[in-house]
Amino acid sequence: MKFWPIRILSIIGAVLGCFLFEGIAHHQSDYTQRLIILAGLYVTLAVSLNLINGITGQFSIGHAAFYQVGAYLGGYLSVNYFKSMHLPPLVWLLVIMVAGAAAAAFAGLIVGLPSLRLRGDYLAIVTLGFGEIIRIKIQNTPALGGSYGLNVEPKIQSIAIVWLLAILCIAVCRNLLKTANGLPFLAVREDEVASSAMGVNVTRIKVSAFLLGSAFAGAAGALLASYEGFITPATFAMDVSFIILTMVVLGGTGSITGSVVSAIFLSYLPEYLRGLKDSSGEPLTLTGGSVVASLIAVITVVAVIRWIYTDGSRNKSTRIGMTLGAIVGGFVVQAVIAAILNHNGKLHNSILVAAVVAVVTVAFLIRSIYASRATSKTWQTGLKGLGALLGGLAVAAVLNTVLTHLFNLNDGKVEVGQLRMVIFAITLIVLMLLRPQGVFAHHEFSWTWVSKLFKGRKGATA
Amino acid sequence: MSILKLDKAMIRFGGLVAVNEVSFELNKGDLFGLIGPNGAGKTTCFNLITGVYKPTSGQILFNGTDITGTPSNKIAKLGICRTFQNIRLFKALSVLENVVVGGFLRHKTGLFSALAYLPNSIHETDKLKADAMELLRVVNLDHVAHVRSADLSYGMQRRLEIARAMATQPELLLLDEPAAGMNPQEKEELLLMVKKIRDEHGMTVLLIEHDMRFVMGLCERIVVLDHGEEIAQGPPSAIRNDPKVIAAYLGEAV
Ligand SMILES: Nc1ncnc2c1ncn2[C@@H]1O[C@H](COP(=O)(O)OP(=O)(O)O)[C@@H](O)[C@H]1O
Ligand SMILES: [Mg+2]
Repeated sequence: MKFWPIRILSIIGAVLGCFLFEGIAHHQSDYTQRLIILAGLYVTLAVSLNLINGITGQFSIGHAAFYQVGAYLGGYLSVNYFKSMHLPPLVWLLVIMVAGAAAAAFAGLIVGLPSLRLRGDYLAIVTLGFGEIIRIKIQNTPALGGSYGLNVEPKIQSIAIVWLLAILCIAVCRNLLKTANGLPFLAVREDEVASSAMGVNVTRIKVSAFLLGSAFAGAAGALLASYEGFITPATFAMDVSFIILTMVVLGGTGSITGSVVSAIFLSYLPEYLRGLKDSSGEPLTLTGGSVVASLIAVITVVAVIRWIYTDGSRNKSTRIGMTLGAIVGGFVVQAVIAAILNHNGKLHNSILVAAVVAVVTVAFLIRSIYASRATSKTWQTGLKGLGALLGGLAVAAVLNTVLTHLFNLNDGKVEVGQLRMVIFAITLIVLMLLRPQGVFAHHEFSWTWVSKLFKGRKGATA
Repeated sequence: MSILKLDKAMIRFGGLVAVNEVSFELNKGDLFGLIGPNGAGKTTCFNLITGVYKPTSGQILFNGTDITGTPSNKIAKLGICRTFQNIRLFKALSVLENVVVGGFLRHKTGLFSALAYLPNSIHETDKLKADAMELLRVVNLDHVAHVRSADLSYGMQRRLEIARAMATQPELLLLDEPAAGMNPQEKEELLLMVKKIRDEHGMTVLLIEHDMRFVMGLCERIVVLDHGEEIAQGPPSAIRNDPKVIAAYLGEAV
């Protein structure tokens, strides 16, 4: 059999590839390297949470807690034992990774136990509460630096190891889904009663998912601690759990590919936004007008895409084309409206109120006309869509008034970087409207899929 | 020796006695019917046998061993598998994958081998899939093996549930209203299929059915429940003429 030579070669290939990648990345700025490392850690976190949430269906939302357990144990060991152990830094990194994974797995076991009794929302609350308990406990433990944080010596940075961990995590999850052993996990997600009637040990499956998922988060935590050199409980606040969850949901619960893509995208997005500069080199700020314009554009695009996909008469490539068109159109709409609203740098609430009233009236008119007059199906759907669209715009305008007051946009500006959570939230809302199963749904990347896609395109153009 | 024996099995939900001291015995190779009006406690009987509920009192013996209160998954491993009245497929999984889950309890490769994608896990997965495909041929679903199970028609979903249960290779197969919602032709096919399961696959079958003609045509022995009580037991000919059964089914053609 050729199994072992291939396996060993591919492992060597992955290791060499990662170190080569590190060699190349080494010439980049510290900032770029930071982005690469954070992306790798978030890929590990999202893929491992996907194992618990998406594959096994246990709604856990406290993933940052496991990340934190790994980080603090790794940091603590580095501070106290690195010097006396005389190990090379990279080997030490592996040691604390394993230790962090073990500690987080133990924590995962403890959180996994309630999942044997609790479902859905209840489990979510327990996992979230558990995360907070860990955070507060650490905050009050002087040996771990309390709320001031822990200085981690030595700082060890290794892009290669971070990405090897991510690759390992992806490989493990993919292997699980490729073999029959993964099916009981999916079966538990689908129906626990039927699973156990088929002989599946539901308890064992859930606990395994929590153990594995949290172990990877713990290993990632240990790497984070030695990369940052300084961790505080605030590093692992609830919003980190929320971001990881967003990555899983955006990518499609159950899809490893989806988690990877959205983890890279969402870990980069805030950094990108923070890095945006205007023409004078200052951080890019938004005026009230641009925020409204963006909201309007987003809602328009969502409405148009919904319409493209609910009308079943078009084929796939037309739909993809129209969707891309709608997105481009969205940017244009955004730019135009922003230009109009930003005309004198300020947004006038009176204009806004008038606009809201006008739009709501028109929306109602259109809907009532549609109800009484429209006869042909196309007109019905079309008018219905238009009514909904205008209604949506009105909502956007109202939301805007709230937002402008919330962020003090009216008399000034807000840095785009600070809108991170708002942008995540809007991304989630849009996703839930358009594609609740996530961008990739249950699909996985495969080469046959890629070749089919290209064949499909050719077929469509010919 | 009997393969399954209920000995005064009783369960109470709050004030309601859903199954009251019911006793019956199945022999190996039986095609046994469990009938009774709606709410008689038939499904609850299945839930007791398969360990979904623990009886308040009484005993359940499988091949002579006491399985009262054993968890569901262990009972499946011992050799009892069931279908559900309200179909409970793994909806997002394909038809083939549903059946593989059934076959998984005989799977030996550990989780670690699977996570490392070692050769034994690959081989065993292939073998499970081949076995599952074989079973799909038996229930005539091999042409939709890769379709999402939720997308199947109602009758097909019922057949898939049977195939999934058969994949655990049970000695005793429990079918909860397998013909419900099927059209006459599908029912006819199902009847032949259940006979084949007993005759060719050597499984003992205990079946709940509402359609009297179906049960009378298929089963060799029948137990009748009403309001949780066992009111009659015997071959179809005797059940048909039993005054108590006629009273319980008043107005329905028996
Ligand atoms: N988990 C439960 N809790 C309370 N009552 C139940 C439960 N399961 C079944 N019952 C009751 O037991 C009775 C028998 O139900 P069932 O066994 O489903 O009847 P059927 O003979 O139609 O299958 C019904 O009155 C039902 O409401
Ligand atoms: Mg029933």
